[in-house]
This record gives sequence, structure tokens and C-alpha cells, in this order.
Amino acid sequence: MLLLQNTRIASENSPVLLESDVLIVEGKIQDIGSSLAIPEGARVIDARGRVLMPAMFDAHVHFRAPGFENKETITTGSEAAINGGVTGVVMMPNTRPALDSATAVDTVLENATHRSRIPVYTSGCVTKNREGKELAEIEGMRGLGVKMLTDDGDTTADPAVLLRAMQYATEFGMFFASHCEVSELAGPRALNEGVMSYRLGIKGSPACAEEIIIDRDIRLARAAGAHVHIQHVSSKLGMETIRWWKSRGDVKVTAEVTPHHLLFIDEHIGDYDTNYKMNPPLRTQADCDALLEGLIEGVFDLIATDHAPHTPFEKAQDFISAPNGITGLDTALVSLHHFFVEPGKFGWDLVVKRYSAEPRRLMGLPVAAIEVGQEANCVLFDTAAETTFTREFMKSKSQNTPFIDQTLKGRVDLVILGTEILLERE
Amino acid sequence: MARKDLLDIASLHREEIEFLLDQSTSFKKLFTRSVKKIPALEGKSVLMLFYEASTRTHSSFEVAAKRLSAEVTNFNIDHSSITKGESVRETIETLQAMRTDYIVVRHGHSGLPGMIARQTTASVINAGDGAHAHPTQALLDAFTIKEKFPDPRGKRVLIIGDILHSRVARSTSTLLQKLGVEVAYLGPGSLVPKYGPATIPRFTDYEAAMAWAPDVVYLLRVQLERQDVQFFPSVREYHRVYGITNTRLAEISDRGLYIMHPGPVNRGVELCDAVMDYERSLITNQVENGISVRMAVLDWLTPGGEFPRQEAYATPQRASSTVIMP
Repeated sequence: MLLLQNTRIASENSPVLLESDVLIVEGKIQDIGSSLAIPEGARVIDARGRVLMPAMFDAHVHFRAPGFENKETITTGSEAAINGGVTGVVMMPNTRPALDSATAVDTVLENATHRSRIPVYTSGCVTKNREGKELAEIEGMRGLGVKMLTDDGDTTADPAVLLRAMQYATEFGMFFASHCEVSELAGPRALNEGVMSYRLGIKGSPACAEEIIIDRDIRLARAAGAHVHIQHVSSKLGMETIRWWKSRGDVKVTAEVTPHHLLFIDEHIGDYDTNYKMNPPLRTQADCDALLEGLIEGVFDLIATDHAPHTPFEKAQDFISAPNGITGLDTALVSLHHFFVEPGKFGWDLVVKRYSAEPRRLMGLPVAAIEVGQEANCVLFDTAAETTFTREFMKSKSQNTPFIDQTLKGRVDLVILGTEILLERE
Repeated sequence: MARKDLLDIASLHREEIEFLLDQSTSFKKLFTRSVKKIPALEGKSVLMLFYEASTRTHSSFEVAAKRLSAEVTNFNIDHSSITKGESVRETIETLQAMRTDYIVVRHGHSGLPGMIARQTTASVINAGDGAHAHPTQALLDAFTIKEKFPDPRGKRVLIIGDILHSRVARSTSTLLQKLGVEVAYLGPGSLVPKYGPATIPRFTDYEAAMAWAPDVVYLLRVQLERQDVQFFPSVREYHRVYGITNTRLAEISDRGLYIMHPGPVNRGVELCDAVMDYERSLITNQVENGISVRMAVLDWLTPGGEFPRQEAYATPQRASSTVIMP
């Protein structure tokens, strides 16, 4: 039994925080109101000034297991999630072996039940071994609860293959998540083509490499009557393409944006800092501004981190040799607070909607909410405290993030899932 | 003010550039003496780390170092095993253990010399990294131009060719602009990126570029090894559209323009054979001046900076301790 006194409750439906006490009994929210009586035996937490919100859900993470456990494991990945106020994730299937069969998915889910304190869901590959040629055994994966199909890390290059997959799997109620990139245009370097790539002397990846596939995959989805979810959009025209298709209303399309594409631009790469090397690459301030606009407007249904851990050794190579990707689970919520909520660019309602409710809806899961009768699935967030992202603070096995050793405003103090307090920071 | 490393031109101040060019003049005077060697770097070690094939830059640095009495070691690189950054990291550790004073490095990956510089106490000289920078080439180009135009301000240099892949174009144009020289680019649209510096006019038409009235025509080597992706239809067409043909050489000669080229030359592509005998061709001068410029650079740098890294692979490479945040 837990009584949170004088907290401020965030909800996706209201920009106003509701000041109230919240009583949690046996993993459920039993009462919400002002000056609630303290039940006998209840633990009381003075949550004055702190925000209580539904816990986050990240629909795009790389936990690297099986195959790359030196980068991340299901245990370390899910602890990083809890550390950042996230209580559910969807793993991408670019593991080794790739998650392209019921057997592979079953192994991961089985592992997750023993090794994670939060629910871990996986997506499945569209094609066998993500090679873009033969369809993966899709129905078998559906039987294990897989809803999202993606060859993330790469685009399913052959449109005929993807179209057939869409026609086939839509019948099973599954949807497609698209990593949008024409590889022949993008090249391997993960740096936006522009002034910065010219200055650094690295072949750049033009935004059109992404925009072409955004448009292509939505058209394919429309032709197949499928639902397509566009992953980690990085460009202004990419956002506008999605906006235009959504306005037509004749195709089911959802989209996500990452905190790092909202926050960083190619110039931050500076003198070849590999912590800013990711795919799709960081683009320009105009792109960044458009992504924020798209998020506020609802072009982007959800925020997802694309949590992509790599070992320090790998990232300590030169920019061209280093792998793409940064971690995001430990840092996302605090960075959203520091750079957007605190300066008033958007409110907690948007954070809850885009990083908690919509990702769960995408996956067909019950939405968490701070309401009487709901399961306790929440985060207590201190907006006045600070978080320093030291190596010790990070629970991810890897710390390849621009936030390393930075101090930002805001702190995840408490994470509750059902009857368990997953995290409590003094 | 001496520096530890020479990694690019962009970070050099004009005063530093002029100092280096002045010193190059002094070193060049040594070349006419019977004994060309001076003891400036006696007891110092120079390690040549060339991951990419090179004849003239490699030998130019080697001659320069030896004329300053430095000990020169060539690091043997098995090209088949050095394809990944991991190997480079291990090499850097080895080099640091050797405590060499200078490392002259050429690598196909942009930014790699900077990474070595941050991990060693040696003075690192970038002898060409990817399409990023080739600072000593830029210095020798400027030195060669200044020999013809002692006050080069307002002079015009037209750089022709593969700007997209050229570290020479980037470094030389940056340096020339710092000296007040006007620079323009000419080449196929696929090789002259539109996002180059706004201060540099771009031409895709030869006649229009010549109407800009250059004083020097600087031909870049067409990097045929990069033609796995076709940037232009054929070398024959390239020569016809962007090369110095016999007809164009006659016009260049009439106008008294100088011709430069960083070498090695693709005859019949960038230029016709006759250019090599053209009296205002400065191609040989560039090679000769490379030695004195590199002597000036070696003499100017000060090895022995702090060895920055305490914990193996703890931190991804970073230029400074301050992270740029939004």
C-alpha cells in the first residue's frame, strides 16, 4: 500500500497537472483525491512538486541479444529502460540470428520472462535473415504475439517483396515498421549530405534517400490495405510527406520521431564525434524545427528512442569505422523535460500521449493512465532535481550518447509497475 | 606560436600561414648549397604512417625530415589487415609506446589523423585524410603561387575537376582564401557539390569559368579509382568538356595563365601532353616546393603534448571535453 501525497498528475488528455494524492493498493490505483486519509500500514511518500505520470513505452529499441551481448543484453537493456522511466519496450529484430522465425522469437521472449523486470515485446523480420528476398515465417511469429514486422537497420529494398509481405501479413492483423533509406543513395557513413559533410570530407547521405522510401512504403501500404509505421524520421520533407498522406485519410500510417533527431543537428558532430553518428543521420536546424512541429501537430504519433548500444571500443574508432547509433533509454525522459517541457515548448500531456499512450496503442496494449481502477504503471518525476548521466548512472551496458557526463534538469525518482517498485531514487 | 599538430588548414591563422611560407623560403635557399642538411631535428624521430599509396608526398616528407637530420622510420602496413578502425587503434597504442616525435599519416578515412593526434604525444602531420584535408599540399600550392605573385591578394585561381572527393581542393581553396586569393570551382555537376562554401563560385561550363578571368588554372587529378560510381560518362568526354585540350592550352598560353596540378597527372584526361612542356606550368615547381614547405612544418611543430588518455577506450574520440549540446 502506497500513498503519494500532493503529487501533480499528468495525463494525455489535459495540459493541466492535477494536484492530488494517489493511493495504490495491491498494484492498483485505488483512490485519487485531495488529502486522502492515510490507511493503516500504508507507506507515505511526500510527492509535493513532483509529477506523477503513466510510465513510458518505447516501441523502438535494440537489445542486441542474441548475438551481440557485448553491447547489450535483455537484462541491461530493460534496466536502462526502468532507469529512464520506461516500463515496456519493443525490440527490433536485427539480432544474430535475426528474429525471423517463431523459434528465434520464442527464445527471446522466453529469455525476457526470466531476465527482465518489465514486459519486453519483439518485432519480427519481414524477410528471412533481413536479406530482403524471401518472406520470413510471419504467421508463426504472430502466434507468439508479434505484431510489428520490420527489417529495421535496413529497408526492405525490393518493393515487390514488401508489397507481397504486406498483402500476406495484413490478413493476420500485423503491421509494418519501415526503416526508410535507399541504400544506394545513402551510403554507409550516416552523415547528412550538406555543408558539414563537405567540411568533414565524408560522403553524405541526402535526405531524399529517406523521403523516397517514406513515400514508397506508404504507397505500398495503401495498395495492400496495410498499416505502415514510419520509423525514426529525420527530415523536414519526410515529415511533410507523412503529413500529406495522413491528410488524405485513405491509408493507415503512423510515424515516430526520436529525441535525438529533435535535439541534435549535423553540426554537433563537430570534430568527428562518433556519439553523434547515427542512421538516419542528424540533419539541419530546419529539419529539427520541422520535426518538432510535426510532433506537436501529431504527424508523429509517438516518440521512440531507437536505443542503439555499441561498445566503447567500437565507438572509439574513427568516425567512418564507428558503427551507427546512440543509446536513449536512460536519457530520453529527462532530456524531453530539460529541452522541451521546462522551456515550455510542449507540455507533459504531449509526453504522456506520444511516449506512453500511443506506443501502447500501436502495439495493441492497454494504455497506462493515472486513474482509479488502473494498474499502477507510473513514474514519479522530480522537475526541480537534476540528473547527471555518468557512466555509473547508466544502466545500459553501453554509454554511447552525447549526454554522457552531462547534467540535465529533471529526475526519474520512482518507477512502479503493479505491485513492484522497480526503481526508487533517494 | 608553435602547435603540436598540423591536421588541417581551417584551424590555421593567417599569421601562422605566413610564418610557414616565410620559413619555407628560407629552407628553399638551402637547396642550392652543396650540403643541404641542417641539424634542426637531430635526435628526433619521424614515423611515416601511410595507409594509402603515395609516392610524391611520402618521399617529399622523407626528404624533408632527413634534411633536418631527423631519423625516419617507415611503418610497414599490411594493407590487407588494415581495413578496420580496430587495427588503427592498436597501431596508435604501439606508436605511443614507441614515443616517436612526429607521425606523418595518410589514411583514406577523414578525421583519422586527428584521432591519432588526440591519442599520442607525437606531433601528427596530416598527409591527406579521405576527402577532408591535405594541409601541406595547400601550403606548397600557396608557396608556389606566391613565388609568381608575391602579393596574391585579388588573384584568381580556378580549380577544375573532382571537388567532391578532393582534399586538395578543400585545403588549397581554404588557404588561398585566407591569403585573399579568389577561388572558383569548375567541374561536372556530379563532382562539384552545391553545398561547398558560398564564397566560392561554381561553374559547370568551361567557357563561363574562363570568362571569370582566372590567373591560375589548378587541375585536380581525376580519381579514376573512385569511378565505381559513375560521376561522368567517360574519361574521353571528361577531357573534352573539362580537360585542358590542345586548343584550350593555346588560349591559356595566349592569356598567360599558370597551370598547376597536385599530381600524379592522368595524361589525356585532365590535360593533354603538351601541358607538361608549357612554360607556365608550375607542376614541377609544386613538387620541389613541397620539400621546403614540409621542412618548415616539421621545424615549426612542437612534439611532446600531454598524453591525454588514461583509461582504455573509456571515451569515444572527442575534440574537447566540452560537448556541444543544443
